[in-house]
Amino acid sequence: MANARTDLMQGTLELLILKTLSRDSMHGYGIAQQIHQAADDLLKIEDGSLYPALYRMEERGWITSDWGVSENNRRAKFYKLTRAGRKQLDAESVNWERISQAITRILQTT
Amino acid sequence: MKAVIGRLFKRFDSEENKREIEEEFAFHLELLTQEHLQQDLSLAEAKDAALRRFGNVELIKGQCLVITRRSHPLMTVVKSLLVGLFFVGVLVRINSTERNIAHLGDLLIAVPILCRLLLHVRGLSPSRFLSEHKARSPLMLNETAPPPFTIYDHRKRTPVERVISDK
Repeated sequence: MANARTDLMQGTLELLILKTLSRDSMHGYGIAQQIHQAADDLLKIEDGSLYPALYRMEERGWITSDWGVSENNRRAKFYKLTRAGRKQLDAESVNWERISQAITRILQTT
Repeated sequence: MKAVIGRLFKRFDSEENKREIEEEFAFHLELLTQEHLQQDLSLAEAKDAALRRFGNVELIKGQCLVITRRSHPLMTVVKSLLVGLFFVGVLVRINSTERNIAHLGDLLIAVPILCRLLLHVRGLSPSRFLSEHKARSPLMLNETAPPPFTIYDHRKRTPVERVISDK
């Protein structure tokens, strides 16, 4: 049961990262900031937990990374969505809609 | 072309991967520290808050290293070869009429299974690597890895968090 919960969380984190990167390429800190702001601080993310998710997503070919120069002139690794990542985002978004609708329906009826 | 070749060779260098992960984390921690410094914390407090918000640096670094090692091109080739050998072994075993050839099939099935087990025992399994890493990590902050994220209830903030965010 605990594992199932963790999987759901990780999948959700990946969806949030995919959505964030669909706008622009970003470094890890930027992604974390964007998620914090978009969620209006309702989701409290351990910033470090983004990185294993980012590396896994790169391994699966959903994102690519390249070193570049950040806004404060420091060397930083920027992540970018690939075509496979965009497809994954679409699929995951549809899946998320379906799950949230189902849960909402169950909560309303019981 | 040069960039592609350079990139490929870089992937073979685990020290380079480790250095890159450390550089990436250092950059993130530096920006987090700056963010906390703007909330009128002292440098030591800001660094501490940045580390807390980041999570367990050593544990996360270990997880990232396992993933880069797992996606190593050489590992992918080895794993594919093992799978190939296994299926060749199964085919030989099914189609063999002679005893010696059947034994060869057995060998072709057994070798990939043993090699895969060996790879697992040698520390290429994430769980084993992490448990070893956890035991020797000096920067261990928590006993267990943090969940990726939690739902944050504004009403349940600690006094310190309230003071910081209300400033």
